[in-house]
Amino acid sequence: MDRIDANLYLNLIRGGAAALAAHRQTVNDLNVFPIPDGDTGDNMYMTIQAGTRPSTSSGSGIGEMAKAVSDGMLTGARGNSGVILSRIFAGIAKGLAGQREADADAFARAMQAGVEESYHAVPEPVEGTILTVFREAVEAAAGSRDLDEYFDLLTGAMDLSLQHTPELLDVLKKAGVVDSGGAGLLYIAEGMRAALHGEAAEMPADDAPAVQKVDLDAFTEDSVLEFGYCTEFLLRLQRAKVDLETFDETVLSDWLSQNGESLVFFRDGSVIKVHVHTRTPGEILNHCQLYGEFLTVKVENMTLQHHENHMEERFRQGRKAFGVVAVASGTGLTDTFKELGADVVIEGGQTMNPPVERFLRAFDAVDADTVFVLPDNSNILLTARQAADLYDKSDIRVIPCKTLGEGYYALANLDTESGDADAIEAALTEAVSEVKTGLVSRAIRDSGTVHEGEYIGISGKDILAAGPTPEEALLALAESMGAASSDVLLVFAGAGGTHSKRLQEDLARKYPRAEVILSSGGQPVYDYILVLF
Amino acid sequence: MLTFFTDTDTDITPAVAAEYGCRLISMPYSVDAKTVYPYVDFDTFDAREFYDMLRSGVLPTTSAISKERYIEYFEPEFAAGNDILYVHFSRAMTITFNAMDEAVAELKAQYPARNFHEIDTKGITTISYTLVREIGDLLKAGKTVEEVLEWAETEVDRFAMYFFADDLKFFRRSGRVSGLAATMGTLIGIRPIIYMSQEGKMVSCGKEKGRLKAMERLVQEVADLGDGFKSHHFVIGHTDAPELAQEVGRMIRERFGDDFPIEYVVCNPTAGSHAGPNGVSVCFHAKHR
Repeated sequence: MDRIDANLYLNLIRGGAAALAAHRQTVNDLNVFPIPDGDTGDNMYMTIQAGTRPSTSSGSGIGEMAKAVSDGMLTGARGNSGVILSRIFAGIAKGLAGQREADADAFARAMQAGVEESYHAVPEPVEGTILTVFREAVEAAAGSRDLDEYFDLLTGAMDLSLQHTPELLDVLKKAGVVDSGGAGLLYIAEGMRAALHGEAAEMPADDAPAVQKVDLDAFTEDSVLEFGYCTEFLLRLQRAKVDLETFDETVLSDWLSQNGESLVFFRDGSVIKVHVHTRTPGEILNHCQLYGEFLTVKVENMTLQHHENHMEERFRQGRKAFGVVAVASGTGLTDTFKELGADVVIEGGQTMNPPVERFLRAFDAVDADTVFVLPDNSNILLTARQAADLYDKSDIRVIPCKTLGEGYYALANLDTESGDADAIEAALTEAVSEVKTGLVSRAIRDSGTVHEGEYIGISGKDILAAGPTPEEALLALAESMGAASSDVLLVFAGAGGTHSKRLQEDLARKYPRAEVILSSGGQPVYDYILVLF
Repeated sequence: MLTFFTDTDTDITPAVAAEYGCRLISMPYSVDAKTVYPYVDFDTFDAREFYDMLRSGVLPTTSAISKERYIEYFEPEFAAGNDILYVHFSRAMTITFNAMDEAVAELKAQYPARNFHEIDTKGITTISYTLVREIGDLLKAGKTVEEVLEWAETEVDRFAMYFFADDLKFFRRSGRVSGLAATMGTLIGIRPIIYMSQEGKMVSCGKEKGRLKAMERLVQEVADLGDGFKSHHFVIGHTDAPELAQEVGRMIRERFGDDFPIEYVVCNPTAGSHAGPNGVSVCFHAKHR
């Protein structure tokens, strides 16, 4: 490819936006700097997305198009990385101003202008962030023969630079992540490269701006304002307040950098964009109003955004003491195990035995000194033991769970308070012996008194009950498993099973001493899984 | 004159407050950013409606009231020449009392002759309800505030409250129970037993399988710790689980006889926001908490 025109430029932007959209959550999850609020992906996406619908005619040159894209991003820019991203594209627009098309050289120069503009917007640039990733990549790609080579070099260098960000920024190293803004930028560059090759950009179906995850309960009456407020606004300088011709905006940016953190600041004509973190947004706004009036204002308590789940894991100093890997199948069961505190739930069961590698990956992901493993059948138990033998980065303890109920009950009884791995393992193993699991499934062939198509109730290797419907088989199974002496009858309805009120009532009537709980397990093969304890 | 105050986090309703001439400070909760002040924004608490909302997945938040609001409650009393006794829910569970301290300090500067007394029930909901009733009875019987304060010195720690919850997700959100760190999830069928400690905090003390075992455990706590509870208020509280509460009452009767009254109380929405529906508590006079 020799040249980029207005249409292709817009396609590149859309390609970048689509690629970022697809990886927005990944980028969110990397976010630890400057504030671990887990929204970098969302912010960058909202920023670039605002540039994908420029208000310019299709016959315009690349210069006009780049300006229109940049203007869109200016109003859409949010968050630290988002605002920097908008400055990168503003710089590119300046570099392309007045041109109809751009070849590799012209585009490289425009990208260099993007580097300058982005550094200029941050009074105290921090290396190891999106700024570094962009700058190093632009430097590496300079001098390319054509645009294909340019984007190849650009994305390659970006990836390399991104991998080095933890060496430059300690907080990343501690969290064991690369810079989130840099990662977002890499996705955008890869999307642009794909668009250059003619790959159609697929924007997300909803194409709606990301909904901010705001957990109001993250800030209670007992919370301490740890991170302050992310304060962003567009300020229109007013003739009545300042002399527009002679006004030196550094007066304002200096004041802001002394009175806030993570400042991103730039002026575009009579509009000033400010992104700043502060504990006292009121003071910031009052001061800035001395110079003009606000076009837009956004103030967010960053503690609300910094979601506990995202934050805790990555800010943990080193790794955690105990972790759990469970095996289950069906969305309901997977969710249940996660809610009970399993770090990783491996999909697996009767029809799908996860390979050893799946366990090894899970152990890596848990990253704990001791990992308890809860299999859900005897084959998987063997695989888990094999994986445990192969793994030497953690102390892996495989609990001999041969049914899903055993795994469930063991996990529900997990108590790591003692800190003693042996004692915890013993307690989990003991818990396994206190639970009975039964399965209801359709007979696939005639066997003894059971006919094909009937529903059978199995516990261990024995067929204990049969019935014309799964419900009748379940009721008969419960009886022969001794439900009468159990405290809890927990029934997981399978993907094909019904979650019927009638079944719940039948069981409750039959076993008045027990608590009957019907839950959607969504597991394959088994219409019902009955867990007694 | 002495004005007796308590707050809605103690489960005291306007009707019960009226028995003691007690004034009620409303402690708010919020749903969808709308703040609701119990018995200010509504007259009667519709427990079914409120807890059904929690069952449907709505999780309200609670918030501390401001210094100004305390001043609005207290100043008219001081201005009228009355002293105040405020029997409140646990200081260890909230920061709202910092605002109250500021309000009181400000008012004391303005009304140096007036006295402000407080009794921390070191609990919330059922246990606080029981203590407010006990204190109300003493005042009604003509005890002076000094005598009541002296009584509270030892007796507050001699009311025990044990309860179980259906789903830990409500506690997890508020992070207000210690000892639950290992199992912060939804425990289907397994119920943590929680008690109110002498420090005024909720502490987990084990789990029970199934509702029946959980209810039996509450009865067992009464058997193990109970001390002269028949001559004090005996209260069973619940978060919209009247049948379970009645069943616990029946088990208590079966074990300890029917020669003492049992009172059933619905947990207020503000505390209920942190406990979730289908929980039951018992509060009784005990050897210790």
